[in-house]
Amino acid sequence: MRKAFFALVLIALVALAISPAAAQGNVLVMARAADTTGLDPHTQTAFASFRLLELIYEPLVSLDADLNVIPALAESWNFADDGMTLSFTLRQGVKFHNGADFTSADVAATFARILDEATGAAARANYLNIASIDTPDDYTVVFNLSAPDVPLLAALATTNAAMVDSADIESGAVATVANGTGPFVLENWTPEETTTLSANADWWGDGPNIDGIEIRIIPDEASILAALRAGTIDFALLNDPLVATLLIGDANVQLNRVPAISYHVLQLRAAVEPLDKLEVRQAISCAIDRQEVLDTASLGEGIVTGPLTMAAFALPTDELFCYEKDLDKARELMAAAGMSDGFTLKVIAANAEPPTALSEAQSIQAQLAEIGITVEIESLELSVYVDRWLAGDFEAAVALNGGRPDPYTMYARYWQSSGNLNNVAGYIDETLDDLMARGRTETDPEARYEIFAELQHHLTEMAPWVWLYTGYEYTAQLPAVQGFVPYPTDSLIGLAHVTLSR
Amino acid sequence: MDSMPKPPSTFTRLLRNRSGLVGLLLVTLYVVVGVTGLLGMTPYPVNDQHVRDRLTGPSATYALGTDLFGRDMFSRLMKGAANSLQVAVLSVTIATLAGTAIGTVSGFVGGLFDNVVMRIMDVFFALPALLLALVIVSVFGPGGGTTVIAIGIVYTPIFARVSRGPVLAVKEMEFIMAARCLGLSNLRIMLRHVLPNTLAPLIVQVSLALSWSLLTEAGLSFLGLGTQPPEPSWGVMLSEGRALAEMAPWLMIFPALAIMLGVLGFNLLGDGLRDVLDPRLRGVKT
Amino acid sequence: MFRYLTQRAIAFVPTLIGVSILIFFAIRLVPGDAIVAMLGTEAGMLTQTQRESLEVYFGLDKPPVEQYFSWMGGVVTGNLGLSVRHGQPVLNLILSRFPVTLELAVMALAIALLIGLPIGILSAIRHNSAIDLFGRLLALVGLATPNFLLGSLIIVVLSVVFKILPNSGDFTPLHVDPGKNLSQLIFPAFTLGFSFSASVMRTTRSAMLEVLGQDYIRTARGKGLASGVIVRRHALRNALIPVITIIGVELGYLLGGAVIIEEIFSLPGIGRLVYNAISQRDYALVQGVALFIAFNFVVINLITDLLYAAADPRISYGQHA
Repeated sequence: MRKAFFALVLIALVALAISPAAAQGNVLVMARAADTTGLDPHTQTAFASFRLLELIYEPLVSLDADLNVIPALAESWNFADDGMTLSFTLRQGVKFHNGADFTSADVAATFARILDEATGAAARANYLNIASIDTPDDYTVVFNLSAPDVPLLAALATTNAAMVDSADIESGAVATVANGTGPFVLENWTPEETTTLSANADWWGDGPNIDGIEIRIIPDEASILAALRAGTIDFALLNDPLVATLLIGDANVQLNRVPAISYHVLQLRAAVEPLDKLEVRQAISCAIDRQEVLDTASLGEGIVTGPLTMAAFALPTDELFCYEKDLDKARELMAAAGMSDGFTLKVIAANAEPPTALSEAQSIQAQLAEIGITVEIESLELSVYVDRWLAGDFEAAVALNGGRPDPYTMYARYWQSSGNLNNVAGYIDETLDDLMARGRTETDPEARYEIFAELQHHLTEMAPWVWLYTGYEYTAQLPAVQGFVPYPTDSLIGLAHVTLSR
Repeated sequence: MDSMPKPPSTFTRLLRNRSGLVGLLLVTLYVVVGVTGLLGMTPYPVNDQHVRDRLTGPSATYALGTDLFGRDMFSRLMKGAANSLQVAVLSVTIATLAGTAIGTVSGFVGGLFDNVVMRIMDVFFALPALLLALVIVSVFGPGGGTTVIAIGIVYTPIFARVSRGPVLAVKEMEFIMAARCLGLSNLRIMLRHVLPNTLAPLIVQVSLALSWSLLTEAGLSFLGLGTQPPEPSWGVMLSEGRALAEMAPWLMIFPALAIMLGVLGFNLLGDGLRDVLDPRLRGVKT
Repeated sequence: MFRYLTQRAIAFVPTLIGVSILIFFAIRLVPGDAIVAMLGTEAGMLTQTQRESLEVYFGLDKPPVEQYFSWMGGVVTGNLGLSVRHGQPVLNLILSRFPVTLELAVMALAIALLIGLPIGILSAIRHNSAIDLFGRLLALVGLATPNFLLGSLIIVVLSVVFKILPNSGDFTPLHVDPGKNLSQLIFPAFTLGFSFSASVMRTTRSAMLEVLGQDYIRTARGKGLASGVIVRRHALRNALIPVITIIGVELGYLLGGAVIIEEIFSLPGIGRLVYNAISQRDYALVQGVALFIAFNFVVINLITDLLYAAADPRISYGQHA
């Protein structure tokens, strides 16, 4: 009798579970595996944080889907002829979520905060040429530069330079209030669970066309896929190509993929033996079939790349040093370095960050075995990996590094001897320093392209790193979601313009 | 005891026991496969990548198909057997020896000593297994040896508790009292009289623990903390295969079968041993 | 009895202090720190000034021993510290996550007992019968299936075949919507309960067999007592001890959070909380949760011991002291 009762309860529960529970209303339900790590737009560096903060905060300028600089909170800008001043005309009538007007005072206060070392702003190094900021009226801002700085404009197009309310800066509340000017307003954030956004009715742009977004954290991407198929979420961010590719050809779920500007790379630290020998690094570069790494680790989802990944600067890979696998040449180089017997190379890789890291390491391991290099893979928990990576405490590392729309901003931190990640790169030479310095001040686009083409030839030939490939940025959506434009930076700002038709 | 004319040996009786026989066969099979794998007598070298043949299904060339890198699944399962069994057997040995010793002595001695020892066990027991394993793995770096120690330490308190329970029940029984009165030493009483009486639950526990250990290794691998690539273990292969299950089901099915059969083998063997070893069971009319 | 209880309650204290010391220093042995873990590789090298100001902010600038005592000072007054990651008091986080874990554990336990006990008893009474065989087979399948595999399969079947997924990251607490809540927990609870039912079933079966083989049962049979009475009055009661042990062990384990199942079914339980806290080196949160789990554990241990005494009159507490 009692058993029958329990059986009934069980059946009832299963029946309840099976009753449909699809998302409803005009709120977009979105899922992703990793959550934002904090709300301060200036100090956040995790990709997962940007995906939320870029919906709430806006910078002066932003990027379109082709990585061109376009107006955001600034309607127009002008480099004065000598390249020493950059002035902006601000958009009028923009309000912060708390109702305060956005004016030039906020711009000045924001940059004062970013440039203050104590803030720990992530992008501070890109703005050091800003000597002072003038605010002649409420809607004009003039940046006085200490040196000509062409990449500065594109470097402003990041959530790390987003505008915050000067009152919040004064009260020290920036990290907690999430008071931006963007299309969505943060209603509630429960870390590792859900984030609720509502539409900003006063937004200056054309949108949003939905009432809000509910962001749910589903830690296992296979479960995100299941939720899409079950139709219980509308939209999802995916990282793992092995999961994303399952949606290719799915009639009920649309997969969006755009080539990324972030790049998968094997970092060699030229500062340690025997990687200090140019021939050894070159041999490694020649022994690796990059397409094979891409095929095995990412199921071919991506393209082999040189150092620069953005379309405007990328070079055809056949121009670059040893992009065709050449084992004979690799063996000759090893012999020239006096390393014919090979050696043991320790490679660090973060466990599951990116999801392809360990597969890449294993592909590299198998390929380098052919020239006598024994690769030992150290798979590390992410925070241990980050710790050792930043300290330059490794021989070689498999990494997924972020790209930038401008080559200078992308690489100055690694390849200028004064760059703050130069120790991580572990390699310095005068040519690089010189090319970087010229790339910063050159205003002619043609000449600039040439400078960075030379930089790429030089980098691949010196082989401090072995650039492998760029993958895709994946988002997936139900057909009910319309009008989403994906960005190579993985930005979700396209959500400001989507409509839902259930 | 019955006065039978010379009872058949334990081993013979095990062979006559249905579960025992099947279990023994399965476990023997695994040991053989594992040793063969360990000696490198696999169809292909375990870590050789045949990139052109990657993700191919079972065929005459690759009996159980190939993985993402074109590595032969059959060869990897053989080596995986060795790695998985090694982790399971070593970690359970550590846990059984340490746990049983602690539990038996503590339960038998009783009083303040028992209290203190079991509180210390509680400290280890009370920490989540994963937390302990994670800390151990993080401090010493991931790898086979660390996994063994981590699983071993995590299971020790379980054995301590499981062996202590029956000791508490047994030590108040007449025959122990009698042995005490006869002036037998504590050690002797424990080894000769108390321990044998706790054997039945312990053997069940060992058989369960061996299977848990296989499963725990799989769980740690799911979180990326188990055997390190490119070395295969069943757990690693299963969690790798899970990601590709829709595209290449053989990558998940075979490691899953291997784990399940391995667990099955240990359990059946445990059942058989229990039936055979436990004197009190022999009289059961069924 | 009362004396025994007080004694055990006092004995909690050293255990918990032991746990606190162990976890406090163990987590600090793990390489990597909260600040670096938070910023990731894109932040670049922090300058010494930035580092120091962050360390002061999180209270990481003092020597570990001093940090330990100031933490313990807080614990005594009910303040478990502040989570770096969540910016919230650790206690609030635990209290918001624990109901999920508790519910999941209780449901898994109920499912396990519902499957495991009857089959275990039947299979002992009808030793070697068809039902024994079936029960043992079921137990073996339950034992042999890694639960992340079972969980993944359940999710795939639900989403691909039935086009449903009760929990898509929108976990609903019991008091908000009991129906939805239970529907979200039933599958993960079944996943956990199924493998757990195997241990219950096997332990019940072997304990019953053992007891049934003992002299007093044979005596009872000899006296002509009906076998139902024997089973209920004598065998079951005596066979309960190992079953209680197993339940205690498993319940303690479940209350520590089932990380993998929570991960696969996106449940905001204690397991994921502590797992994320470890990978983010959120020291205060790891310590707080560990201490909380430890507290649950000692309480369950105590209850287990009391149940021994209730189940087996030969064990009596209170005389030893």
